[in-house]
Amino acid sequence: MASTVRTGSSPSWWTFIQRRKTRNYIFASLFVLPAVINFLIFRYVPIVWAARASTWQYSLLGGYQNWIGADQYLHALQDPILLKSLQVTFTYVIVKLPLEMVLALALALFTNQAMRGMGTLRTIIFTPVVMSMVVVSVVWALIFNADSGLLNALLRMVGLPKQIFLSNPHLALPSIITTTLWKDIGFSTILIVAGLKGIPGQFYEAAVIDGANRWHLFRHITLPLFRRTLFFVIVTQTIFSFQVFIPVYSMTQGGPLDSTKVLVYYIYQLGFRFQDMGYAATVSMILLVILLLISLIQIRLLRSNVEY
Amino acid sequence: MNQRFRKNQTWMLVVALATILGLVLAACQPAAPAAPAAPAAESGAAAAAPAAKEPVVLKFLKLNDPVEAIAYAKIEDEFRKIDGGKWSYVSIDYDTVSFRDLFPKIETSVAAGVELDLIQADGPDMKHYAWNKVLRPLDDYFTAEEKAAFAPQSIEEGSYKGVFYGPPLMQSCSLMWYNKEMTDAAGIQPPKDLADSWTMDEALAAWQKTTVDSDGDGTPDVWGVRCGQGTWTGDYEHGILRRSAGEKGSPTYAGMAPDGVTFQGYFDTPEAIGAMQFYQDMHQTYKVTPIEPIPNIFQSKKAAFVIYPDNIIGDINNQYPDGNFQLGVTGIPYFKTQLCHTGSWHYGISANTKHFDEALAFVKFASGKEGSRIYYEALRQLPARLDLLNELPEYNTYPQSLVKQGFEKFGIPRIQTPGYTEYQQVFAEVAQNIAAGADVAQQMHDGAKQIEQLLAKYKGWNE
Repeated sequence: MASTVRTGSSPSWWTFIQRRKTRNYIFASLFVLPAVINFLIFRYVPIVWAARASTWQYSLLGGYQNWIGADQYLHALQDPILLKSLQVTFTYVIVKLPLEMVLALALALFTNQAMRGMGTLRTIIFTPVVMSMVVVSVVWALIFNADSGLLNALLRMVGLPKQIFLSNPHLALPSIITTTLWKDIGFSTILIVAGLKGIPGQFYEAAVIDGANRWHLFRHITLPLFRRTLFFVIVTQTIFSFQVFIPVYSMTQGGPLDSTKVLVYYIYQLGFRFQDMGYAATVSMILLVILLLISLIQIRLLRSNVEY
Repeated sequence: MNQRFRKNQTWMLVVALATILGLVLAACQPAAPAAPAAPAAESGAAAAAPAAKEPVVLKFLKLNDPVEAIAYAKIEDEFRKIDGGKWSYVSIDYDTVSFRDLFPKIETSVAAGVELDLIQADGPDMKHYAWNKVLRPLDDYFTAEEKAAFAPQSIEEGSYKGVFYGPPLMQSCSLMWYNKEMTDAAGIQPPKDLADSWTMDEALAAWQKTTVDSDGDGTPDVWGVRCGQGTWTGDYEHGILRRSAGEKGSPTYAGMAPDGVTFQGYFDTPEAIGAMQFYQDMHQTYKVTPIEPIPNIFQSKKAAFVIYPDNIIGDINNQYPDGNFQLGVTGIPYFKTQLCHTGSWHYGISANTKHFDEALAFVKFASGKEGSRIYYEALRQLPARLDLLNELPEYNTYPQSLVKQGFEKFGIPRIQTPGYTEYQQVFAEVAQNIAAGADVAQQMHDGAKQIEQLLAKYKGWNE
């Protein structure tokens, strides 16, 4: 179909805009523009600023004092508290993440059945997710309290000795893990349920006809086909786990004996308590690099070419 | 039709683009300049009749305290009436946060360039703020007579290198308060005269007698003592234990070298380590105080003794308006030298304030005799103004007379260094670790070393 020929001198940009392909691109860009602006202003610009701050002696009250280059990165390599924080954080992630995945998968498989009440059960499982983490931390701190906590009352009821959960260096981190596991498991469960519901039922029917048992169904149909969902959950929960802060701030303040001093809490201490925002920015950059590396590894290991 | 639709679509696109561009530009506009203030009357000159002025709102970043809010509402009202209504155009906008969030908020507000006029600053942090030029020096605006009205400890806390930076709201001195019902039940009579104050060993005996485990499950129903307000292991109360282990004038008593940045040999002396070993034993061996702090432990009758400033009187009166709590006070226990930490909140005028005259006038009134009286009547904590303190009859009778005597006889400021925030954070962690059972000497030595590393940036501050 011949396009209408406009007489007179039309600007070329007007013609450009009038093309359908260009208009489609522009409309699509308009939709993502707010998100892009949000990311630029609240994510990428602060990262660049933090990278800059990590090369200066900088405090919130004192401002930028002296440029010191990579000195703070060299100092970080010899900082025993930073090394301890890394150890605590990795321990937290290595314990919490697999537990969360296994439990969430089990809950998802259970609640994905076509039985009465499963919708209500999923709602109950998801409820902690929408609660404030501060409230959750305060309540769990009361539950863990050595003298008047619910857990110790239950232990005493069955004749077991009292435990000092939050002031015992061996029990404090598991207590934090329990708290965050309780809070986060609903989120993972719901995502996995969504992934499971996306697998067409015909595959299961065909496999059953071919004689597959429940393990075969899970191993050869469920796992491969919802791998992408699992990948998304693992990557996001890994990142969130590395960023744990509120339960530590509310329940243990990094103690006792630095046994719960996770990296983000140490960053907070450096910036706001020790008046060394420059070094806090340095540690933040280190955390960023760690998360990028881990995410890249996970993407590489968990990527899936299975389609349906 | 298609052509018209495409034309309309194109115009929609252009309008949408223009709208978004407009919104982005509007968001990026600098803030509108403040309306020019009417010329202020000369400072110190009393105006015969107040000229009509543009309203001024002073932004005051302070602690979230409902009782203080009542006091400041009244102070503000009275302030607007002084000097024939000279300051009637001034009002205060209070930005209140919890104690834990106040310090980070001050830091982030300053860093972000938020317009602040007044800050409620903790006494030991005044030097920190002065060092960072957050506060405006007020030495030229307070005469020697005006400064002499405040307790000397307040002048020292509110000054930096001899320059006065802010008057106090109030003072404090911790003593040991007790529940009379519990001590009577245990057959204990704590001394009412400061001269007869218990040593730590004597106090320990009393704490052990008042620790009650009625069902024998290993968890006391009532603990002997809680050291300090809230649940934190702060320097205000816990530092007293450590410093009292030294003779007056000794490094242990000082807690820190005169340079304000050296702590090894002061923080971790053998006496200080001994004191903190006793502190650990209170939790682990004698079990007279809980390892995990219980909020409001004394006020909820779960502890017989508490080391606390005198604002506990107001606390108890509020929680037990029917008088169902028999409160007693005795001297603070000690190892070698009896002492209490003094100091409380101070007013600070932001270095960036655009309303200095108004802020100064408010600070002078609020910290003056009338403002301080209004504040005291609401909070009932030791006034920092000596003229007011000497007028209050309740400080001549038990129990508040002990607070006044303690303050005057053995009240000393907390260690004075611009690195107090960092020092206190490290000490709080050390104390928490020690209570949890860590090696005391190791913690104290490591703590001293860490404090010195953190405070190295302030080296030479008082030269």
